[in-house]
Amino acid sequence: MSEHTRQLDSGRPRDLPMARSMCWHCQSEMTGEYFCGRCVKVQPLSKELDYFTCLNLPRKLNLDEQALEETFYALSRNFHPDYYATKDEGEKAISLGNTALLNTAYRTLKDPVQRAEYLIRLEAGSAKDIRTSPPADLFDEILELQEDLEEFRSLSAGESVERRQELLEKLQAERQALETRKAHMEERLREQFSRWDALPGEAEGAAAAQAQKDAVLTGMQEILSNRTYVKNIVNDLVAATSPAGDTERNIWH
Amino acid sequence: MAYSEKVIDHYNNPRNMGSFKKDEDGVGTGIVGAPECGDVMKLQIKVEKDTIVDAKFKTFGCGSAIASSSLATEWLKGKTVDEAGRIKNTEIVQELNLPPVKIHCSVLAEDAIKAALNDYKKKGETEGQAEEVATPV
Repeated sequence: MSEHTRQLDSGRPRDLPMARSMCWHCQSEMTGEYFCGRCVKVQPLSKELDYFTCLNLPRKLNLDEQALEETFYALSRNFHPDYYATKDEGEKAISLGNTALLNTAYRTLKDPVQRAEYLIRLEAGSAKDIRTSPPADLFDEILELQEDLEEFRSLSAGESVERRQELLEKLQAERQALETRKAHMEERLREQFSRWDALPGEAEGAAAAQAQKDAVLTGMQEILSNRTYVKNIVNDLVAATSPAGDTERNIWH
Repeated sequence: MAYSEKVIDHYNNPRNMGSFKKDEDGVGTGIVGAPECGDVMKLQIKVEKDTIVDAKFKTFGCGSAIASSSLATEWLKGKTVDEAGRIKNTEIVQELNLPPVKIHCSVLAEDAIKAALNDYKKKGETEGQAEEVATPV
């Protein structure tokens, strides 16, 4: 028996949806294991698997980071392409597919912002379906700042030293203020995480529970949207005002 | 992925970049943003006798967002307010040959047009000189 099969046997019992109910290789019946009990071939994970389920975590936002790491490494040991270098093409492809899904799931859940965005997509179909009111004041502020930024960029280092210095100081102050604001938004996002995690389960009063869920999801989406605007302008400010500065602007983002 | 030549042309030579004073007579201003990418777009129209005589934009975002709004201002000029309201993002996608991941940029431009038209109509109402206000969008 190969090493990774033993690993699995000693691990905690798991019950992930697999892509097929039959072993792709020997056609014997499967009940959700990673390896066929008869021919010991690795089996493909279902593409429909959501990332929380994939990493054996509840659909919560303040997640147990240690459990996330541990499960990720344990599963990686089952599927990593290095273990399949000498296997046939079918097994190699499955190892690659499972590992890719696992890596994406891990990366997404590890980052709090991506985790929240992913949860909103899962729960609300698409984050775009949640309409949040556009932050008009923020837009005005961004447009104004961008105009100062344009002017600053257009002044080459040699000329208009005074105006350049004046703008630089203003932009640096704005950058600090915006970074503080972004940190504040991230705090508020964390509060929404706790609200989400404290929501009662599905069983009690479906309609009321859904309304509560929607309220938290909308609240999170609003913070996330505004954070994206602030993050963009902060990045622009950093790129323009940092000493290294004058980095080529990227039109491909 | 490469941008179409038309996108690059609008990016390098944006048409009608700039702005009008918001409170100027006949000016409608639309400011919209795309929460997915953080782009912000400002589009303004200047209307005389129900016809858009001038349009300007300022967009901070990717090449496709700039090209979409630049193209939108070109199309807006000479159109009546009603005609302008019928510009669809799909026409922008077609003209600029936008790839699927950049379709939201064209949606942003359509939203900006609608917002500018609404702002223009709203201003007309409060000044009590609105002729027939078109059905709300």
